[in-house]
Amino acid sequence: MTAVENPARQRWSLTQEALDGLLNALSPDRDAAGARYLEMRANLVRLFEWRGCTAPEDYADEVINRCARKLGEGEAIRDVATYSVGVARMLLKEMSRDPANRTSPLEQAPVPRSPAAAGVSGEDDREDCLRRCLSGFSSDNRDFILRYYQGEKGEKIHNRKGLERFYGLAAGTLRMRALRLREKLQECMERRLERKDAISL
Amino acid sequence: MWRTAQGDERMLIDYLLGNLPEPKQEEVEDRAFADRSYLAAIQAAEADLIDAYVRGDLSDPERRQFELRFFASPVRRKKVEFARTLAKIAGEEARIKAEARPSLWRRMLPWDRPLHFAAAMGALLCAAAVSWLTVENRAMRTQVADLQSRGSELKRQTTSLSAQLAEERARSAKVAAQPKPTIPQALVASLILARGTSRSQDVPSQLVLTPGAKLVQIEVQLEPRDDFPRFRGELRTSGGDEVLTRAGLRPRRASGGFTVSVDIPASALPPGQYELALKGVTASGSERDVGYYQFGVKRY
Repeated sequence: MTAVENPARQRWSLTQEALDGLLNALSPDRDAAGARYLEMRANLVRLFEWRGCTAPEDYADEVINRCARKLGEGEAIRDVATYSVGVARMLLKEMSRDPANRTSPLEQAPVPRSPAAAGVSGEDDREDCLRRCLSGFSSDNRDFILRYYQGEKGEKIHNRKGLERFYGLAAGTLRMRALRLREKLQECMERRLERKDAISL
Repeated sequence: MWRTAQGDERMLIDYLLGNLPEPKQEEVEDRAFADRSYLAAIQAAEADLIDAYVRGDLSDPERRQFELRFFASPVRRKKVEFARTLAKIAGEEARIKAEARPSLWRRMLPWDRPLHFAAAMGALLCAAAVSWLTVENRAMRTQVADLQSRGSELKRQTTSLSAQLAEERARSAKVAAQPKPTIPQALVASLILARGTSRSQDVPSQLVLTPGAKLVQIEVQLEPRDDFPRFRGELRTSGGDEVLTRAGLRPRRASGGFTVSVDIPASALPPGQYELALKGVTASGSERDVGYYQFGVKRY
């Protein structure tokens, strides 16, 4: 699917009043409402990402706009977060009906854009930034994440079994630890790359 | 903690690749938004799927489906690039560690706690045995230490003497290597006779001839008035015996005036006192005295 200009989005945009209404619907407490809003938006972004959309954040914002408009029109929504997921699926269906978004055979699909196209950073820069981020980790975390992702197939399984024994943790727990460290590492690497890109530009 | 069984894991991968029917997709999504641990399981499955892709572990249909889904958004492309870089660094680290060849102890340390415990117990037993032996053999060790001390002292003395001997040898060799004072072995011996070295002088000039000297070159400095085209030199002993005569000598320009050179074979000059009589020869052939120069000859 590709990002398309949505006619509805052009006609209506989120006003302060509509946003306040949305936040009130999420929670009467302003702070809690803010946290729920962020969680709802993050889930919508995930959903569109999982579904293979080109601009998950734009679609998530479009869903939020639609929810806010419905609330502004006086529609009673009991659970805005769940409602938003339904709206997201509607949007996905709309997009799939659009001929521009219709799935075509892979052989006819355009060559995917280069992952490096988004920034000016190259492989060396990424490596350099990642190494720096790793050096900022504690030696335990650093060893853990490197060992967790080391090796091919059988060797990797062996490594992970070894880590399970060493830490006395179940495979699932170990996997979650690796995931959290991985997320932190990626976040760190991207922050560094952005700084590098900003300097080089 | 939500645990992914083999079947669930497969379903999550199918979901991420877009291979599930719509109702199943919605089921997975709804569950993920309601259960944080399930959401984490999807994220972990996604990370593993990306790793499998960058390592080339996916089948062709899976790879194509992956590319269609994951290269669509910049966020996911970044995830793929990150995974690629992480895999590279992790691989390099593994190679470095493998090359470093860690010791058996280091290898088993992070892996096997029972083995670690057993090794620690073994070390403890060894330490106890060593302590017992230490107590039992204290006297022997004292003697050994004493002998070792004496041995060390002897060794030190031997080393010191050896060093002194070596030093002396070096000094002797140095002295032997030093060049002995040598007598200049010039083939030509020179003597300059300036004004004032005439007969009236109390202390005549001295010519020292080395054994190698073959020729004596006596250079007489002329005065401005001695402007003769030719000169003649007569060498005599102090007793008046003629040694040799040189005629047709030409003046030569030198720094500070003119000179006349008289070359004499060294063999003609035994040790003793000599007098050189220099005469100026005019263009008409007449001679005039220029000067009488006395000098002594010594031989090594």
